[in-house]
Amino acid sequence: MGDKADVWQGTLALMILKTLESMGALHGYGIARRIEQTSGDLLSVNYGTLYPALLKLEQEGYIDSEWGTSDNNRKAKFYKLTRTGRKQLERETRDWRQTQEILAKFLGAREQTS
Amino acid sequence: MRRVRGWLVRLGGTFRKSRTEAELSAELESHLQLHVADNLRAGMTPEEARREALIKLGGMEQAKEAYRERRGLPWIETSWQDLQMAVRALKLRPGFAAITILTLALGIGATTAVFSVVDRILFRSLPYDQEERLVSFGVKAPFEGNEFMLAPEYAVLRAQPGPFESMTSLTPGAADCDLTETNPVRLSCAVVETTFLSTFGLHPLAGRGFSSEDGRPGAPRVALISYGLWRARFASAAGAIGKTISVDGKPIQIVGVLPQKFEMPNLEATDLLLPRVLDEAALDRNHPRVILRAFGRLKPSVTIAQAVVGLQPWFQDSLRFVPPQFRSEVSLQVRSLRERQTADSRVAAWILFGAVAAVLLLACTNVTNLLLVRAVGRQRELAIRAALGASRIRLARQMLTEALLLAFLGGIAGFAVAYGLLRAFVIMAPEGILRLQQAALDFRVLGFCAAVTLMSAMLFGLAPSMDKPAPEWLAGRTTAGTGRGWLRQTLVAAQIAGSLILLAGAAMLLRSLWNIQNVPIGFDARHVVIAQISLAEHSYPDPTKQIAFFQEVESKLSRIPGTEVMALSDTLPPAGRTQATFFAAIDVPGRPRPAQGTGGMVGWRMVTPSYFASLRIPIVRGRGFTEADRAPAEKPVILSQTLAARLFPGEEALGKMMRFTAFDRQGPWRIVVGIAGDVKNSGLTNGGDPEFYIPWKNDPEIYVGRGFVILRSSLSAASLAPWVRSEIAEVDPTVPVEFATMETRVGNLASRPRFDAMLLSFFAATGVLLAGLGLFGVVSFSVSRRTQEIGVRMALGATPQNISRLVLLSIASWAVGGAAAGVIGAWFGARLLQSLLFEVSAHDPALLLTAVLILLMVAICAAWIPARRAAKVDPMLALRCE
Repeated sequence: MGDKADVWQGTLALMILKTLESMGALHGYGIARRIEQTSGDLLSVNYGTLYPALLKLEQEGYIDSEWGTSDNNRKAKFYKLTRTGRKQLERETRDWRQTQEILAKFLGAREQTS
Repeated sequence: MRRVRGWLVRLGGTFRKSRTEAELSAELESHLQLHVADNLRAGMTPEEARREALIKLGGMEQAKEAYRERRGLPWIETSWQDLQMAVRALKLRPGFAAITILTLALGIGATTAVFSVVDRILFRSLPYDQEERLVSFGVKAPFEGNEFMLAPEYAVLRAQPGPFESMTSLTPGAADCDLTETNPVRLSCAVVETTFLSTFGLHPLAGRGFSSEDGRPGAPRVALISYGLWRARFASAAGAIGKTISVDGKPIQIVGVLPQKFEMPNLEATDLLLPRVLDEAALDRNHPRVILRAFGRLKPSVTIAQAVVGLQPWFQDSLRFVPPQFRSEVSLQVRSLRERQTADSRVAAWILFGAVAAVLLLACTNVTNLLLVRAVGRQRELAIRAALGASRIRLARQMLTEALLLAFLGGIAGFAVAYGLLRAFVIMAPEGILRLQQAALDFRVLGFCAAVTLMSAMLFGLAPSMDKPAPEWLAGRTTAGTGRGWLRQTLVAAQIAGSLILLAGAAMLLRSLWNIQNVPIGFDARHVVIAQISLAEHSYPDPTKQIAFFQEVESKLSRIPGTEVMALSDTLPPAGRTQATFFAAIDVPGRPRPAQGTGGMVGWRMVTPSYFASLRIPIVRGRGFTEADRAPAEKPVILSQTLAARLFPGEEALGKMMRFTAFDRQGPWRIVVGIAGDVKNSGLTNGGDPEFYIPWKNDPEIYVGRGFVILRSSLSAASLAPWVRSEIAEVDPTVPVEFATMETRVGNLASRPRFDAMLLSFFAATGVLLAGLGLFGVVSFSVSRRTQEIGVRMALGATPQNISRLVLLSIASWAVGGAAAGVIGAWFGARLLQSLLFEVSAHDPALLLTAVLILLMVAICAAWIPARRAAKVDPMLALRCE
């Protein structure tokens, strides 16, 4: 586990929203696997931390949950994005990009001066 | 917004637990199954698959806990838990809870109630603009309690105001005046200078104030009405302004309404404020007849001391009106308005304040002590909870919650106590306790008292939870508790000392009250009913009509059945005004008037012959008055024993001549026909002035506006009143008559000391009760600590008596020490009381001893109960208690 980066709390929410956007309704385990796979196994999600994050998003109204049946016929709770969730995703994506750009410039500038 | 929504959902989650808990379990279980299925597909063994899945989840319970924290608001949940636990803990020891809450309630309640009263007297600002600059000033003379001024002298000063920015005056004594319209009512009217409102910084609620025009002779008559009258009579209508009303038969126009909070600077009740019309004749400098009360607003930054200096030239000048031999007894007095108003109540108010502060302190120490004792008793519980993983913060929070809960309950109970006490004060208080009727519960004070008690309780109550729980506490064998033993003992000693001071004070006031009530008044007040009659000036303008009225009343009332004796007099003992003259103004043939001093006041009364019989005042020598004495030519006088001894020292007074100055006229020579026993005439506690009696004559030269009918009768006032009333109504139905028994009149004089004594006794009893509770708590605690030791001692052959003695001795030294400190405190503290005491020494050893004995008795009782319990300990149980 040590060689894999732990997921930041803040970015986990963004990853969940993005995953739900691209995958549609999905259960908790599925979201966790998907995040790991997308990151190319560079990230390790502690599955336990996923559920409080899902709960927070649900409390804030960005996602909805519903019991359903999985592909292999198991009962599971499925999460899906709401309309406000979609908007929030756009906003957060934009914010994240901006932060990234600023950081990139900042780091680039430092490299030039040093 | 989203955050708020999240927060609200979480708040909801705090209270909807069971449903989501099951759902969470199901969700996590399905997660595990999905993961396990995946792992199996990847070729793991079932055990491996499940183990790997759990590791990835980070543990089932940990995941649930993280989820739960997110779900609700954890701090609310823990606070709720703390509260539930605190309630449970209190229920577990109802005795402790009851004692603590009772202590808090008494401390908070008594302090709040008393402060609400005292605040009005000592601290609350007066309802005038910049009241600190307002002073009352004038000449202080032996025959008048408050400073006064002669009108011409006032006029001189007003032309040269010196230290004052502005000044005003009013005519002393609000007079009765009648609103003579449909529904006539008797009001009280005050006559003030037109500068009155501006000097006091008052603005009328509606209409205008007085202008200087209103004070000119011949100006149309105008008046300001009080807020109360405006509401009662005019239903707060704006139309009242400008209306003309009829007062004492004369038309007066209402020009304004006084503010709701308005009060006269001399605190007299006033319905109508009239401007004084300054008559030139009243300002005649050679015959000053009009007396005024003067008030001034000092210029900014002028002090009272500076004002006194500034007024000196004027005062020296005004002394020329004073006969030279009296000048040494006259002085200039300038004092703040507040001081003038509160002079009588100040000492009592401060003492009350001190007493109640002591009670609050006692309550604080008691609660502190109780919580200390309790905290030590809970060390084991705390240690166990610490061992089970509770953090120190969490433990401290738990203690805090308990303290808060106690304070909250105590505060509510305290509020109830304060409310009840204040109601009781108002009901029981005698007339004239300053502004008591206006006293309302002060919530700031309630909060303050609750905070003080709580702070001290927390400070000491929390201290034990701050200690790192030691492992040996788990065994319940603690030594740490004894470390703070000295603190508890000192607190108990302090309590005993404090309550002893209160007790000694109460004992002195009670003793003083007893003295007052048993002071010989010189006459027999039993079975005497008094009817007071005052004639309104507008319907009885000249003395002849008044004389005719009283003559008729006398002849009608002498026939009332069931009456042994009926008499009339112009004034009555044992208090209130008499007609008075200076001792130096009484002439005796062959002896010059004294060159220096007034010689003090001498009172005199006008009485009908049966006066002495009606009040059973003994005629010591000579005779009383007879009907023959009422003939115009007869000039007899009866002296009191004291006056006889002063006027004719070493001689027989009977048959001697004397004359006195009354109503500015030199009276005729009178012959002394009798000597009467001394009677209290200026209250119960004062020495009283010497006095003499002259017969009630039908002589228009002596003004009789009012009189007292004295009826010695076996009937009660209630059954006599209708008879008397109807007889008087036959003479004139409009004359008001007030009835009282003589015993009530005398009893009322003691009501103020009775009130003081009762209050302080109440506080002393509270203090002693608190000290007793404190002692009880500490001894009980030490017994429960030492159960095992007691068991060993008993197993080794100690008798129950030995054990009781052991327990009592352990506390005795502290109790005695506290009592000693209390005696010293009472010795010094009692000096403050001295001015309230009547014929009691503040250092009366018998009273101090009584207080000590009462307190020690309470202490022994408080310690005895737990000591007995200790003696009943079963040694086998005690030894097994570990």
